[in-house]
Amino acid sequence: MGKTILCACEDVTLSEVRRAFVLGHRDLESVKRYTGFGTGPCQGKSCLNAVVQELLRLGATPAEIAPFTPRPPIQPVNFGTLAALDPEALPLDEGVPLPVRPPPPRPGPSGPLPERADVVIVGGGILGLALAHQLTMRGVRDVVVLERSYLNAGASGRNGGGVRAQWSTPTMVRLGLRSLQLLGAFAGETGVNGWFRRGGYLFLAPDGSQVKRLERNQAVQRAQGMRTRILSAAEACAVVPELDRSRFVAASWNPDDGVVFPWPFLWGYAAAAESRGATVRTFTPVTGLDVRDGLVRAVETPAGRIRCDTVVNACGAWSPEVARFAGVTLPNRPTRHEILVSGPLKPWLGPLVSVLGTGLYFSQSQRGEIVGGMGDPTEPAGVSHGSTLRFLARFSRTLTDYVPATAGLSVLRQWAGNYDVTPDNNPILGAAGPGNFLQLNGFVGHGFMMAPAVTELMADWMTGREKDEIFDRFTLDRFERGTAVREDFIIG
Amino acid sequence: MPRLRDPLFATDCTVTFDGHAVPARSGESVASALLAAGRLVVSRSAKYHRPRGPFCLSGSCGSCLVRIDGEPNRRACRTACRDGLRVETQNAWPDAAHDLLGIIDPLTPHGLDVHHMFTRPLPVNRALVAFTRRLAGFGRMPDRAAPRGPAPSVESFDALVLGAGPAGLAAAGTLADAGLRVLLAERDTLPGGRLRTRLEPDAAPAGWPADVLRAVTAAGGEVALSTTATGLWRDGGSPVCLLVGETPERTRLVRAARIVACTGGNARPPTFEGNDLPGIHSGRALALALAEHGVLPGRRVAVLGAGPEASALAARFAAAGLDATQVAGPVAAARGRGRVRSLRLPDGTDLPCDAVAQGEPPAPAPDLLRALGVGVDWDPAIEALAPRVAADGTTSVPGLFAAGEVARPGSAAEARAWGRRAGEAARG
Repeated sequence: MGKTILCACEDVTLSEVRRAFVLGHRDLESVKRYTGFGTGPCQGKSCLNAVVQELLRLGATPAEIAPFTPRPPIQPVNFGTLAALDPEALPLDEGVPLPVRPPPPRPGPSGPLPERADVVIVGGGILGLALAHQLTMRGVRDVVVLERSYLNAGASGRNGGGVRAQWSTPTMVRLGLRSLQLLGAFAGETGVNGWFRRGGYLFLAPDGSQVKRLERNQAVQRAQGMRTRILSAAEACAVVPELDRSRFVAASWNPDDGVVFPWPFLWGYAAAAESRGATVRTFTPVTGLDVRDGLVRAVETPAGRIRCDTVVNACGAWSPEVARFAGVTLPNRPTRHEILVSGPLKPWLGPLVSVLGTGLYFSQSQRGEIVGGMGDPTEPAGVSHGSTLRFLARFSRTLTDYVPATAGLSVLRQWAGNYDVTPDNNPILGAAGPGNFLQLNGFVGHGFMMAPAVTELMADWMTGREKDEIFDRFTLDRFERGTAVREDFIIG
Repeated sequence: MPRLRDPLFATDCTVTFDGHAVPARSGESVASALLAAGRLVVSRSAKYHRPRGPFCLSGSCGSCLVRIDGEPNRRACRTACRDGLRVETQNAWPDAAHDLLGIIDPLTPHGLDVHHMFTRPLPVNRALVAFTRRLAGFGRMPDRAAPRGPAPSVESFDALVLGAGPAGLAAAGTLADAGLRVLLAERDTLPGGRLRTRLEPDAAPAGWPADVLRAVTAAGGEVALSTTATGLWRDGGSPVCLLVGETPERTRLVRAARIVACTGGNARPPTFEGNDLPGIHSGRALALALAEHGVLPGRRVAVLGAGPEASALAARFAAAGLDATQVAGPVAAARGRGRVRSLRLPDGTDLPCDAVAQGEPPAPAPDLLRALGVGVDWDPAIEALAPRVAADGTTSVPGLFAAGEVARPGSAAEARAWGRRAGEAARG
């Protein structure tokens, strides 16, 4: 015996909560992610108060025990039940939970800020933290990462964890392949498990035009040495027997794509960068950039200002906001993307499956949940984190169409993140406006999977090594120059 | 002596549990029937493979998930027994009582640091990922695909009252008396909520729930039993509730100008070493199983808590012929293998028992209210996060009201009075 179980669903013990707190995961959102408490079938109904009580005993502040965001549904609902709902009877809305008025207090910054730094990275998502990691590996140790909330609060902590090299252009294929390598090496490199698993990606083509698309991509991918194959519906059903083969005509299959559990990557990159001298500050929003004589001279925050040589804008959906502080207008449009998880199941689904033309994708997480999302063509631009019943209905309809047996599984939790969408579906890199104001944003829902490869190249470039062609190709001025080429293989 | 020997509590059907016949009463929950049969362990826990069995028996914990008629991860406490129902344990081999992977728990006295274990070298890490994936997960995929039900239309009512306990009944009755068309939704098969435990016999007259139901239907409203509110969303710009009934035809989407949440609180597990042992249950749920199905949780019952509910529970178990002991002070640990056998008290003495009833009142359940923007505060007096609900049942959200234990612990009589005030406030 010996264990006191605070969260019986996920088997989280009292000592695990204490350990998380000591490691610096002090606020409830962070403790939830680090320990897993409250993420199981009861969704925190039994455990939340016990964890709060323990955190208070350990010295947490009132702001740190503001409860984690409630996620609908409050009781599990079957995909089959939700599939019966008519999405058209549920017009799109800002979603729930609605913000609380007045807003609950927020934890303060996790420490004093340095007065100056070589590089300030705005945004503590996967891109910013992986860049900090890469820079410190190259000897640039005077790096500060500023995150407005807790680690994993943005899209890096809200995505489905898919990593693929099945893209439509040689550049993206090359980056995808490199990211797969780096994510595979992450655990060994940082000492933190990322649960990277090469289960493959299976793209289903419901009609002939989608097959042509897959065939074009396959040629690009095989030219780069990938094992991508076009499968018949019957062959695809050998990979995932639960699929309804009458729903699609062919599929594209790369067994070397994979999935990860996103959260630990942020902790691992942050810890690795900090161990080599970088500073990562959470709950520290940037409120201004001091631009003089064509350069950003300092970054302003409520906790003080940091003079710096270089500023990197890696804020995902918030990047246009930060760019405006430097007088730069980015064309990025944040767009909500909803996602959900089912209850945990024994392994049955190897690959991440995506259905072309519908926006549906789903995979099985390391813990056994079905994790999936589906874009909504009626979604307007704007940062939004609300959850809708319409999404549950649309997702469940399409999922149960393609995998009928899922009708008897239930949805545990839904949430939303924001895609950082650019006009040509490609990222914004390189300097924009002030000569030392570097962009690392606009990744349109695939920032997580691109981060390892892109930040490696960016750190090379920033430290005077080779400059990869992406830093010329994907600059902001491509839209004025008319050299933007649209990436069409975006899912979700 | 699993049930009181009274013809009133005679079993009338049989469910199977991993192939073993378990006598049951039609309509009682699977969890209740398993308790009566002494089958406390229904699965093994996610990480350490500790024995898991029903704790709350009221849908707020996740400890009683079983496979039911080929569907995984169903709550035993939310599924009604009927003849031939097939119940199977999950996440255990060969079965939940003798799971071989149960060895993980004693081998990891200090827990597992999943984030940092076996990260290198690469082949070891790969093996870890493959191995833990096989261990992870809970239920297996469903045996078959259920046909899609009809699309429910969006229904409108003057008021939607969620929960037919003392607060919800009082609110619904007040609204119906004012001539409003009320939908009263209750997830259980019967109305009454905690009144059904009969722990507070003076809280309401015996016929009161039935009177309220009649008043609701007489005013043009409707009572939906066995109907669970699964959440509140805002699609289309105003709150919409998805209510899920026992059959696809009984799923409904409801909009109402007034929503009164009286869904009750969440049972609180105790927090001491071994607190998750099977045999430790919500006391109120045990009282309900005893009152309605004659289920006896054990011979020697320890009742945790110093408040009136704990005393009432101890008295109730004693009256049923059990050896009941109230433990008003702290507990150091629960002991036992596979089920609780004793409580270790701080002075080192052991209190033998074969069931533990949590007699602390439930904690508020703010999630439904939080969906629409109601704030919560930590209340040190009850050591729980409580939603901001006023004494008249109003919240910061227009049209959203709440009363009873969903918002704050209190007696059934207090919940009833609060429900009436919330009904009056909602009536306007």
